[in-house]
Amino acid sequence: MSQKSSYEHISVDLKVDNRKPRMVPYKFEYNPHKKGGWWVPLLSIFVALIICAVFILLNGMNPITIYTKMFQGAFGSSFGISETIVKAIPLLLCGLGVAIAYRIAIWNIGAEGQFLLGAIGATAVTIFLPDLPGALYIPLMLIMGIAAGAIWGLFTALPRTYFQVNELITSLMLNYVALLLLNYLVYEAWRDPAGFNFPGTPEFTPYQMLANIGGTRLHIGLVFALFAVAVLAFMLTKTRWGYELKLLGANSIAAKNAGIKMNKHILIVMMISGGLAGFAGAIEVSGVAGRLMYGISPGYGYTAIIVAWLAKLNPWAMIMTSLFIGGLIVGGYSVQSMGLPLSFSSMLQGAILFCLISGEMISGYRLKKIN
Amino acid sequence: MKKLLITVLCMALIFVLGACSQATEKETTKSEGNKGSETTEKKVPRVAFVYIGVPTDGGWTKTHDEGRELVDKTFGIKSTTVESVPEGPDAERVIEELAQDHDIIFTTSFGYMDPTISVAKKHPDVLFMHATGYKTAENVGTYQTKGYESGYLSGLAAGAITKNKKIGYVGAFPIPEVIYTINAFTLAAQSVNPDTKVNVVWSNTWFDPTAERQAAISLLDKGVDVLANYQDSPAGIQAAAKRGVWGMGNDADMSEYAPETYITNPVIHWGPYYVEVVQSWIDGTWKSESYLGGIKEGMADIAPFGKNVPKKVQDLVNEKKQEMADGKFEVFKGPIYDNKGKLRVAEGETMSVEDILAMDWLVKGVNGTIPK
Amino acid sequence: MDMVQLILAAAISGGTSLLFAVLGGILNEKAGVINLGTEGIMLIGAVISAIFYLQTENLFVTFLVMLVASGLLGLLHAFLCITIRANQIVSGLAVTLFGTGLSAYLGKSVAGVPIPVSIPKIELSLLDSIPFLSIFSELDIFIWMSIALSIILYLYMYKTSWGLHLKAVGDNPSTSDAMGISVTAFRYFHVVVGAMLMGVAGFYLIMVYSPNWIEGMTSGRGWIAIALIIFARWNPIYALFGAYFFGGLDSLGFRMQIYNFDIPSYFLKMIPYLATILVLMFSGWKNRHKPSIEPKSLGNPYFREQRF
Repeated sequence: MSQKSSYEHISVDLKVDNRKPRMVPYKFEYNPHKKGGWWVPLLSIFVALIICAVFILLNGMNPITIYTKMFQGAFGSSFGISETIVKAIPLLLCGLGVAIAYRIAIWNIGAEGQFLLGAIGATAVTIFLPDLPGALYIPLMLIMGIAAGAIWGLFTALPRTYFQVNELITSLMLNYVALLLLNYLVYEAWRDPAGFNFPGTPEFTPYQMLANIGGTRLHIGLVFALFAVAVLAFMLTKTRWGYELKLLGANSIAAKNAGIKMNKHILIVMMISGGLAGFAGAIEVSGVAGRLMYGISPGYGYTAIIVAWLAKLNPWAMIMTSLFIGGLIVGGYSVQSMGLPLSFSSMLQGAILFCLISGEMISGYRLKKIN
Repeated sequence: MKKLLITVLCMALIFVLGACSQATEKETTKSEGNKGSETTEKKVPRVAFVYIGVPTDGGWTKTHDEGRELVDKTFGIKSTTVESVPEGPDAERVIEELAQDHDIIFTTSFGYMDPTISVAKKHPDVLFMHATGYKTAENVGTYQTKGYESGYLSGLAAGAITKNKKIGYVGAFPIPEVIYTINAFTLAAQSVNPDTKVNVVWSNTWFDPTAERQAAISLLDKGVDVLANYQDSPAGIQAAAKRGVWGMGNDADMSEYAPETYITNPVIHWGPYYVEVVQSWIDGTWKSESYLGGIKEGMADIAPFGKNVPKKVQDLVNEKKQEMADGKFEVFKGPIYDNKGKLRVAEGETMSVEDILAMDWLVKGVNGTIPK
Repeated sequence: MDMVQLILAAAISGGTSLLFAVLGGILNEKAGVINLGTEGIMLIGAVISAIFYLQTENLFVTFLVMLVASGLLGLLHAFLCITIRANQIVSGLAVTLFGTGLSAYLGKSVAGVPIPVSIPKIELSLLDSIPFLSIFSELDIFIWMSIALSIILYLYMYKTSWGLHLKAVGDNPSTSDAMGISVTAFRYFHVVVGAMLMGVAGFYLIMVYSPNWIEGMTSGRGWIAIALIIFARWNPIYALFGAYFFGGLDSLGFRMQIYNFDIPSYFLKMIPYLATILVLMFSGWKNRHKPSIEPKSLGNPYFREQRF
């Protein structure tokens, strides 16, 4: 335990060659523990908006009108707000899953595949058990979804723990396998025979759908997602398990020396991570889509990484960031009438990420006078 | 004791979850009595289009966007368009949003069917037109083109041009609209050139130029001398042109991608019908219908012939086109056998439109299979 | 030509674009920087090529401009990962998002416009008569370029002192720093050059494969390239075969359809991904007591004064 955390107080000299005499009696000192707080994400969003505004201006349009329209589309009406929340639910759940893995430096980029497996697992219940008593469907579908996602997450964790295979690679590969599996199911094996060959399963019955809230498309999945946030936040801060994860995340070698079993934690964390994404998938099919169909995820698993990162991996903050990114996507459709392509919103997302990660690191630097 | 408690808790959880399904909600039936709100004075229609792709896709969405342009020009309006809307949850949101401040909404892909119907229920005073679907409602009409007629005409040209009687066809997915086009195409090719074989490969994608090209090359390697493509991108035509093989595309005129080797292909003119729909809305005469437009109606058509297509071939096709326009020709007239030898349409019979639109078998002479 | 040769020919033409992207990715990762921005850089490479070729009709100028544009994206990634030490995964994701969006934005004016380009071919009529090699008798120069590049990179990485430095930088930056190698400069150089190669992948796609710009035309091939890097075990020669294997699978699937083999193509397409995982597991198990083959500091930023 005597080993110091390797990240503590590393001072960095921005000049390449430090043998030369210093011209300025100042230097930058890097301290990851003093990184900027809540204002960094806000500032980076602001800077990203300005960068993209330049592109809009170059296109001969008024950025303020565009942004206003985007904001109105996402948050300007009760309809917009409800749709933004609908979009935020899967992002929030996947983001939670991604974040918990990232907390112990497990780079799970497989939330997309785990999401799809969750959707497939939930749908399997409707396909293979057509005659269940109605009230059993939703619990079974959700459980199957979580289980399928967790198993998919385990497929990433097992090669990592027992065969030293980088989880980044496995999770990425499994995304493709999941996508191909989904396509096989919706185009061939589970295709609705009465659907004129439309690539999707038969429509769910009302018993297989989550209840809606107040006549909108907003569904009870919101409650589940918020519940997941609370549980996860509690587990991370108030339990021994959460404490061990924190140690692992800060310094894996020190944690190992302290007797924390890395492999066990990786397995558990990846199951939770996959389970959460699978939960999102199950909720998405039973809450909004109403059937398993091709393209069920427009990249939720990848977007979730932005959600998690914007929130600095904090579960509570992810409620805000998932709403923000959800709004960005919803608003992205609204600005099309003004002549911007849909891809503008992904450009904006990219720019925000750029600013965020650089802002985060820059804010860790302090200008110090050299004695 | 602890185990029992956990079991009880789990049961309780399942019970609670079970109560979360939609079916346990009270049915909220809305009265639909407010239809026909009188707006006789201002009749400038607010029109919107929902696209599956981008207007520059060179295929399906481009044809709809051309239709939109005609509407805009005719009525001096500027229609709203929303592009790249995925079929599924996003579609419902986009359509709902449009329904709040538009009068007529064209949803231009099959997968928008359920979202369109569900939004239409909530907006009885908005007119919805859904392309290629089969569900209508009081305020939802559907429209579709007789792709098999233009497919037949393309097949005639292909059959007249092929020398080795081997034609290749890259189909996107084995869905009825592609299947009946290929069948019509094959029947036509055989009518001018008996024993012609049409080799079909499914690319399993609407949009992936690299895969489409690979599919095309696999057929070109088999030695086909005409290559037709039911795809949105011109990758197949371009691959054929590179080997000096005749090429045909789908939906939009694709001659510019292979000027030397282009024959023709089915195209769709939605414009006149769109104008008609908007006009009937203005006049207050619109009624829900399932419209099917063929050569006669001018909705289905073929692109202008490529510059190297022999005059004889052009005449042959134009003659048949005239016959169709006069309503004297049926594409699927018996006897028709499928490619497993089964008689599908008996001598003297003609297939009904319903049967055509649900076709799931390939005619004799097509070398290919439909999965499952 | 018989079936095998035809598939091989299709595999070569189908795999070449992938190969460029994979080689670029190998350079990145060997230097210890993972680049998930491949898809975005390929798209930018493709759209810039389309725009400039339509303007200038000059292949060489287009190629150069494309190199600069994709190199700039690489520079951005390098700056974030190396100088600012941001998380490489998030940075790569940002590059892909930004590149996808920007390419669609820039490409609006040239979408669907056919690009009248013909890529010069190298004709080796000598090979025509040799049974198996005849498929090499008429390949375009970029295919030869990609093959040559694989070999050059292989020699560079395993046979030159720079290559050994590169390995050191990717494996153990603090040691190489102690040896007097500038880790920062090395990483910058390889990330930027790698990104340029990814741009070439996009260039090849639009100039040879499908000569007109269509939004999102890579349709996921950048991600496949990332998978291939690992499949090829960071070895440029393996990458050559890996790219052709991936490229050939598509073509094989279509040919099986023609000859009425009834295997759902979805499972056929899963093979490379599953094979990659299995191969990695096997070699991980075999080498469980040895250091792993992947660049050891992959994904980690280098803090210079970290050597205590």
